[in-house]
Amino acid sequence: MTALLDTAARPPITPPEVRPPLLKRSVRRLGPDGWSALAVTLAVLAVQAWNIAGFPAVSDDEGTYLAQAWAVQHHRGLAPYTYWYDHPPLGWVQLAVLSGLPELLASPEHVLTAELRIAMLPVTAASALLLHLLARRTGLPRWAAALAVLLFGLSPLAVGLQRELFLDNFAVLWILAAFALAASPRKHLWHHVAAGVCAGVAVLSKETAAVLLPALMLLLWQHCDRSTRKFSLVGFGSALALVALGYPMYAALKGELIPGPGHVSLLGGLLFQLQRAGSGSVLTPGSGSRRVLDSWLYYDRVLITGGLAAALALLGSRRLRAPALAVLLLAAVVLRPGAGYLPAMYVIQALPFLALALAGAAHHGARLVLHAVPRVGLRPLRWAVLALAAVLAAGWTVPRWYAGDRTALTVNANAQYDATARWIRAELPDPAHTRITVDDALWLDLVRDGFVPGSGVIWFYKVDLDPAVAATLPLGWRSLDYIVSTPALRQDPNDLPTVRAALAHSAVVASFGDTQADRIEIRRIVKDAAQ
Amino acid sequence: MLTSLFMITVSGILFWMAALTLWWMLHAWRTPETLAGTGFGPADGVCGLSFSLLVPARHEQEVLERTVERLLESGHTAYEILVIVGHDDPQTAEVALRMADRAPERVRVVTDTHEVKNKPKALNTALPYCRGEVVGVFDAEDQVHPDLLAHVDHAFRASGAAVVQGGVQLINFHSSWYSLRNCLEYFFWFRSRLHLHARKGFIPLGGNTVFVRTEVLRAAGGWDQDCLAEDCDLGVRLSSGGAKVVVAYDSAMVTREETPGTLYSLLKQRTRWNQGFLQVYRKKEWRRLPSLRQRLLARWTLTTPFLQAFSGVVIPIDLLLALSVKLPVSVALFSFVPAVPALATIAFEAVALHDFGVQYDLRVRPVHYLKLIAGGPLYQVVLAGAALRAVWREHRGQRGWELTRHVGAHLG
Repeated sequence: MTALLDTAARPPITPPEVRPPLLKRSVRRLGPDGWSALAVTLAVLAVQAWNIAGFPAVSDDEGTYLAQAWAVQHHRGLAPYTYWYDHPPLGWVQLAVLSGLPELLASPEHVLTAELRIAMLPVTAASALLLHLLARRTGLPRWAAALAVLLFGLSPLAVGLQRELFLDNFAVLWILAAFALAASPRKHLWHHVAAGVCAGVAVLSKETAAVLLPALMLLLWQHCDRSTRKFSLVGFGSALALVALGYPMYAALKGELIPGPGHVSLLGGLLFQLQRAGSGSVLTPGSGSRRVLDSWLYYDRVLITGGLAAALALLGSRRLRAPALAVLLLAAVVLRPGAGYLPAMYVIQALPFLALALAGAAHHGARLVLHAVPRVGLRPLRWAVLALAAVLAAGWTVPRWYAGDRTALTVNANAQYDATARWIRAELPDPAHTRITVDDALWLDLVRDGFVPGSGVIWFYKVDLDPAVAATLPLGWRSLDYIVSTPALRQDPNDLPTVRAALAHSAVVASFGDTQADRIEIRRIVKDAAQ
Repeated sequence: MLTSLFMITVSGILFWMAALTLWWMLHAWRTPETLAGTGFGPADGVCGLSFSLLVPARHEQEVLERTVERLLESGHTAYEILVIVGHDDPQTAEVALRMADRAPERVRVVTDTHEVKNKPKALNTALPYCRGEVVGVFDAEDQVHPDLLAHVDHAFRASGAAVVQGGVQLINFHSSWYSLRNCLEYFFWFRSRLHLHARKGFIPLGGNTVFVRTEVLRAAGGWDQDCLAEDCDLGVRLSSGGAKVVVAYDSAMVTREETPGTLYSLLKQRTRWNQGFLQVYRKKEWRRLPSLRQRLLARWTLTTPFLQAFSGVVIPIDLLLALSVKLPVSVALFSFVPAVPALATIAFEAVALHDFGVQYDLRVRPVHYLKLIAGGPLYQVVLAGAALRAVWREHRGQRGWELTRHVGAHLG
């Protein structure tokens, strides 16, 4: 009896509440949505990360943005040369933050510009997670949300473009954040204000994100409650406007808002972009725009044509109307009469919305097959139809995408650049006192090698177009020691007399590449030659 | 370098002050659920509690009769009205007695014989005579909705609260540029900010349409007779002691008031409140609040008039410096950061004005929005003046009661 009493008085063997360890708790907290988003994002990351420095070929623009990010990192202003308001700067300011880490990890195997593409992986990952969230918030089931992310990240077109150091990828990240916040189920005023902030950052990352704003506002309107809508819309609008105003404010403080003699200006930069020689209509065969469109379709037909068709159909669906509108707005800008310049990366901003529209259409289609005319049962038949449709769609898509993605995973398109960078590092003995003009993609490599940034290693077009650079070349082309002739440099030398003269008065010391078109030549300037 | 550092610090502080104030100002509209939670629940028609309504009146014979008549229209069955008049104010006393004759079972008159008079003394004089379970306070010029008591009754019983604060709203926004801003201030305060305070457990109560359980009020010793913001003080004392406070705002049932008739009387009224806030701050009752967050909220709220005055004056100086002094572009850009919440505040004020017009069925014209925006900086100057004046008077030991005169502009 006493023994029994003793036991009863003892504290219980198991404590009343056992808290699971942290890892387990966070695993549980993630929930099925979190797991689904993580899984597809990891799949996308795996494909995008493999051979990221090898494919696609580095573009001049990547080098430009990276050099500008380098300037921000090293407190040299917003660009290594005079910043002339060609694009708003937030994109490469973010790149400056992100490229610090991979710079430490970069191997000398590839040209540095390509190596630093690792910085885009967190951007793509965040975009993929946000797209999953947005898909769920616009009413898609989990499988369709996962499908949207896979379409968004595995399309050969996307694998190519999202790997590159393009401002549009940053804009996509922020505009997706804005869309996800605008569709917040809590309808919280501060989520809507944050959506405005994100939209502002998106526009300042790449100005073309502004095209998507009407779709964003439609989504916000749909997701506001009547009682608080006024406040939400004004919160969104003022946040967007005040963030965007920072840009003209910056220009005004520098006295560079309005064009004037002897300085660049925001308005001047804007007018340049608007009046940029058009690349013709996509409807005209052979035009520049048509070639860009054809290159998109070459990489992936499924996402572009399927997504466009899905977007048209989804205008009738209330919940997916905003992403559908986003696709159609972007398409309308390309198709508008008298269309201006169409850059190849323009399609990047359409990718998440094309993917969302296609996944949304798949969801609607599946629901239609399974639930239309409920009085007719025929469950097995419905499932069979669905399975057949899925197999057909996969059969049409997967082989094409497999071929495209395999190229992206295996081909080294940068061999010439890699070899050029290696040769210069090994063969030019005194980089600090050598003046060399190169295209933007090689610039940062040479800065790393010890060439003087800006005046020692020079972006080729600045030689002729930037008066501040021309002033450091008193003898014109004779002030240069080397010129690296790349496809980008040879593209239009007629506008650049000094570059043309340097090419004419130089001799090839090393050459890489098989075909004439993509050959890279390192040429020494022959200074004592007759004029 | 030093100038840059100074500008960055000042701009950072100003930004957070403005942003935090805006955050709290918009509390009620955060989510649709929050907004729905700020109203009265539907009344159940049960008259479960009895009320003693205190109406202190001082030289307010012009408006008192209408106020008491309106109170007598109440649909509640168990309430009494105690009109408190001064022994030196025969005209108001005459009106009060006439009302008492007209409804002897409802209205009683209490005479305050203090040599130097103020509102807390008047209220304390009447407190021993209260028979109801709940004491309510109204001002002599208040227009009270007949259904208010029934809703307050229900709010007490449904929530088990010790205090219920109803909405008070200045209505005559069209009277002048400053009355427009004054009305909006009330709108933000009662419609939104007070609900946040009730939720956080620290609340400076309003001067009227405030209801307290009689035993709680008596246990707390009534109102502080030496405090210029006795209403704020009572709220701080009760909530610091852990009393549950409920705030309910319903545009149909707010107590309608009028703005001070002249800019000078607004300045005087604001000086009195600010001085009262200072006194409450220095009484340190708020230190009894259990959590640090609550104490920080208390500290911030009670010093708000001064912080606001400070930021209202410093922001323009900050911007002026940014434009005139040669600073690095990044620093100059950063010094514009406080303008972001400031401009957003203006935008939200415009929305609130629209909402105000909709809720009170008042016609808000474009010119009113213009007045609202143009009047903003000027109003800041008035507020800053009142804050400085309050500090000065408190420093000089001038703690007299500057009464606001009412002419009845809100009685349409």
